[in-house]
Amino acid sequence: MSENRDWPEHVDEIIEEFIDCFDSMERFELLFEYAKKHPFPLHIDDWNDENMVHGCQSRAHVTCVTDSEGKILVSGGADAQIVQGLMAISSFAINGQSPEAVAEHDPKYIEAMGLSQILTPSRANGFMNMITKIKKTAQAMLE
Amino acid sequence: MDYDVEAIRSHFPILERILPNGKQLVYFDNAATTQKPLVVIDAMSDFYKNYHANAHRANHTLADESTAALEGARDKISLFFGASESSMIYTGGATEAMNLIAYGWARYNLEEGDVVVTTEMEHHANIVPWQELSKDIGIELRFVPFDNEARKLDYGALEVAAKGASLVCAGHVSNVLGVRNDVERIIKIAHSNGARVALDSAQGAPHEKINFDGLGADFCAIAGHKMAGPTGIGCLLVKADALAEMGPFLTGGSIITSVTTEGTQFLDGYSMFETGTPRMAEAIGWRAAVEWLEENINFHDAHEHIHNIASWMSNEMEKIPGITIFGAPGRDDGVGVVSFLHESILAQDMGYLLDAGGFAIRTGTHCAQPLLEAMGVASTNRASIWIYNTMEEAEAFIVHLRDIVNRFA
Repeated sequence: MSENRDWPEHVDEIIEEFIDCFDSMERFELLFEYAKKHPFPLHIDDWNDENMVHGCQSRAHVTCVTDSEGKILVSGGADAQIVQGLMAISSFAINGQSPEAVAEHDPKYIEAMGLSQILTPSRANGFMNMITKIKKTAQAMLE
Repeated sequence: MDYDVEAIRSHFPILERILPNGKQLVYFDNAATTQKPLVVIDAMSDFYKNYHANAHRANHTLADESTAALEGARDKISLFFGASESSMIYTGGATEAMNLIAYGWARYNLEEGDVVVTTEMEHHANIVPWQELSKDIGIELRFVPFDNEARKLDYGALEVAAKGASLVCAGHVSNVLGVRNDVERIIKIAHSNGARVALDSAQGAPHEKINFDGLGADFCAIAGHKMAGPTGIGCLLVKADALAEMGPFLTGGSIITSVTTEGTQFLDGYSMFETGTPRMAEAIGWRAAVEWLEENINFHDAHEHIHNIASWMSNEMEKIPGITIFGAPGRDDGVGVVSFLHESILAQDMGYLLDAGGFAIRTGTHCAQPLLEAMGVASTNRASIWIYNTMEEAEAFIVHLRDIVNRFA
């Protein structure tokens, strides 16, 4: 995997899985699988206005806290499986990092996975808004 | 003569597009905006290359040519819609046209307690201006319900709501369902109650030849980009007596006879409403679009073609487990839209999965949240068909949709 990577090494494994997909339909199938294995899903009972991600056609919520070692822990929940899958992969990329690193987080790994259309600045897409929300929360932790 | 869809497609270069994932584009998002024939692109390019200048302002050759093109386009476009050129106001689109009715007519003619009737089936462009005006001057806003079972407007409720109303505003064709409202009946009900009638024809104009003078509506809002024209232009058609009752909306240069520090005198007629630099390139492009439509499209045949595709798609989709169709694409009042949902695949996911196959559709609330609430859903997927779509595209869509349901449901 690229030595110029901007993401933790263990995300390479996920990228490889996506690169190995035959086409975008297979990539979406894989994304649906990741949606089911979010490491820290946010239970629907905890979805509220405060943790809502704006700009999603569907409902999406994210929380961002620090663990006992001061590292970031992101939880997410979305009813759209593609958004939930992206949230899961972002959690793998973000969790365990310092607030400083997360405040500068760039989800380039999504592009490397062949899902660049997800990153379009369409208002219909809440993924980038979710990343922005996480980054802002991390930034606020530093202030 | 048979409807020659391949001949029509040959005018639209974008339909040849291969998407980054290697898939052939199938464009089923026509209710959002239609693609443009080459003549429209060329007409706008020719303007910018050869005679671009600001219209109505200067005494040089280019300005004369630009002015002639702008006003020539008004003559042609108004004629296409069966209206006189003096009754056509250029706007940025149908939304601006609806706002112009609210702020250029209703604000000058209605007062607290006067009644404006709209419906649950409307695009937000025919709801929000009235809600804002209600806050401003205290008009009473009445909503005619959507009959969810019959999948059409509740005309009995309209008869009641129109009593004592000053204005009835209704969509010509629902952008969510593709159901054509009985606009002739709406006009009759409104006028028999002494109310003026405003039609939001953004979705109607692409599918039927509007004869504004014959139709009898007082106002008609149209968007150029939904009928092969460029974005950024539309019009409000206004009956002469209603136009005489209107006052300025957006103000500034170009619409005045004099401005002093004491006040402003405005021009009469449509000129009062076209402030700022006119939409010259867009008007020229729109003219090219209506001329192209006149030369190449028989609206009756086109409607039949579109209706056949939408009806077939709807029938096939109903056979796919978990799919629900909204609206009634196969009914006589169906106008080329198939709005649908799958019970377990969210609309947003469905949009991406269809895109993976090259199919461009719309997902979401379609700027019509009250209608979706009346239907009891948060969003839908909408495939909208227009003159250049083919049955082969529809067949490929169904194959891909079946594949999606098999793999992701």
